[in-house]
Amino acid sequence: MQTRTLRLPRFLAGGRAALLVVVALLILLFVLGASVSDRFATTGNMLNVYEQSAGLALVSLGQTLTILTGGIDLSVGSVISLLSMLTSGLIAGDEAMVIPVVAGVLVLGALIGAANGVTIVATGVHPLIVTLGTGAIVQGVALLYGLGPVGSVPISFDAFAYGTFPGGISIGATVALALFLLVSFFLNNTRTGRRIYAIGDDPHAADLMGLPRRRILVGVYAASGFFAALTAVYLVSRFNVGQPYTGANYTLASITPVVVGGTMLAGGRGGVIGTLLGVYLVSLLNNTLNFLDISSHYQLVVQGLVIILAVSVYVEKQRGLA
Amino acid sequence: MKLGFFRFALCAATMLGAVHSGQAGPYEGAPRTFLFNPAQEICFKDTAEYKKDGPYVIGFSNAGLGDSWRVVMQHSLMKAAADHKDKIGQLIVTDAGHDDAKQVADIQDLMSRQVDLLIVSANTEQALDPAITRATERGIPVVMVDRRIASDNFVTFVTASDTMMGRLFAQWIVEKLDGQGNVIMLAGQAGSSPSEIRSRAAMQVFQQHPGIKILDTVYSDWSPVKGKQVMQAAIAKYGRDINAVWSAHGLQTPGSIEAFIEAGWKDGEIPPHTTSDVNGPLQMALQHKVPMLEVGYPPAMGGTAVEVALKVLEGAPVPCIYEINSQIATTDGDETASIRRDLPISEVVVPEGPADMLVTGGMGPDYNPTTFSVDYPR
Repeated sequence: MQTRTLRLPRFLAGGRAALLVVVALLILLFVLGASVSDRFATTGNMLNVYEQSAGLALVSLGQTLTILTGGIDLSVGSVISLLSMLTSGLIAGDEAMVIPVVAGVLVLGALIGAANGVTIVATGVHPLIVTLGTGAIVQGVALLYGLGPVGSVPISFDAFAYGTFPGGISIGATVALALFLLVSFFLNNTRTGRRIYAIGDDPHAADLMGLPRRRILVGVYAASGFFAALTAVYLVSRFNVGQPYTGANYTLASITPVVVGGTMLAGGRGGVIGTLLGVYLVSLLNNTLNFLDISSHYQLVVQGLVIILAVSVYVEKQRGLA
Repeated sequence: MKLGFFRFALCAATMLGAVHSGQAGPYEGAPRTFLFNPAQEICFKDTAEYKKDGPYVIGFSNAGLGDSWRVVMQHSLMKAAADHKDKIGQLIVTDAGHDDAKQVADIQDLMSRQVDLLIVSANTEQALDPAITRATERGIPVVMVDRRIASDNFVTFVTASDTMMGRLFAQWIVEKLDGQGNVIMLAGQAGSSPSEIRSRAAMQVFQQHPGIKILDTVYSDWSPVKGKQVMQAAIAKYGRDINAVWSAHGLQTPGSIEAFIEAGWKDGEIPPHTTSDVNGPLQMALQHKVPMLEVGYPPAMGGTAVEVALKVLEGAPVPCIYEINSQIATTDGDETASIRRDLPISEVVVPEGPADMLVTGGMGPDYNPTTFSVDYPR
């Protein structure tokens, strides 16, 4: 029997089957939606789905990086909540404060993420535990800062979330798309990018090879914190205000597109393009379920089933290839 | 002398009026917030630009079905749509599960489905503001119900006055305590307009009385279970220093009373509580001798929202805030100088009814929320 070695471009490695499954599901949902309503398959509605993908896309981008290293970041939801409150609380309706506060919030997000990374490498405790802990601390700080909505932003601030380029193409979703392409390029074409995969694939081998594992991990968690901060800024743009539980749903939600998109929880395989398709799948699924008039209780059930279906098909394919 | 007689006559008339109102039964007149409003100009919206021929597609974006009040309100809305099948071609209902992000997406999806009008009960007043403002800017008429957004970028808001409730609750507490005492604010869901507006209105009253101290504001998420948890914590911290509980609605009030009972307060010792709509707290007030003020916030406003929506689509002018009646009830002996009741609580309560039923539901005697179904246009 001939042994075949399947060589894929790095960004598809281990994720090709998943990508096919996600694309197939996207097509299936599109056909299903189009068959129930003539208003579904319109350019307007597809641009609407695209626009709604932005928040989840931004937070999932950072989450993909931590999962690629074999870790996870369970603090993103709390970080989003706290930073959303700081964004609207410190801007407090003052146009002149927008740029300094947004810049400060992005830096602070990266610093919180870096603190996660430093704690992980310094203590050797699993990232799941470390980020669960920091998540609780950050949520506590958010609640100390305020129990309800805090501050406000100028009306023009909603351009990030609701603004469009000519043709009705969402600014926020396009920024997210551009960042995905940028990070994908970085992962596949830079030494650091390839090292992120190597660390996730086999951390001991990475150490033996003398890769700067600790530095890279700190950088990856800093990136996750940065993207959580960007998500916070996006959500303040969408909601006009930060609240102590703005990000609560994003912790688990950010993991869904990553695993659906074919990045393995064990690390080392997958990539951000799969995550992006996973985000579009979630966004299209929610829209389709609304068009099908399916009650939100069933919507949760269907979402759960799709996740399990997508990932189990993918795992099956992996076994077949092994 | 003449003046003295006049004063006496006025006083007697007021007292007679008070006695009379106690015997008059439910108030069925025009909204008092409208009649008593001192403003000469009342805001009306011209809706001519929204006039179109039916049958209409109406989208209802509900914040969620997180408590029994919201279930009855949605049923009332569906029933009204069924009653107007001749005019309404389709009613599309979405449920955001109390998630702002989902409600924004729901509203965008309803716009994508080209509804003629949106009825929205906004999960939180600020977070939904940009999305609803965008809908209004795109020429879609928006009727808010129960929960509004912070700005005025909608056609009208169907409600039973939140400000009146907040102030009546607070004024009653001030007068029950003779202007001296410590109050816990038992709010609803942080950021939701009924909770925020009632709290702000209450503070306008409390702040005029330096002897009143707000010990803490705690959030119940409109749940008796959470209400009990937060009140247990408050009782542990402040104990007998708590002189009154300002509760933003009746959904959480039973949790608070239970917390006092379990902490050892005997019948007649539990501090005064405010409440709305829910049967349970009224039963407990009578059983445990809790001084209580009930101001209704009827979930029948769901049906009213549909009636108002049809007026808008027919181009009829509507008030900027469409307020419906609230009943005022107190336990016996607990009327105060400012708070006169329409009914005693003993006449509002349904003694053998379930604790979670809403006495102000307006859905008829056979209504049961768990088995309710109505054939509304889908």
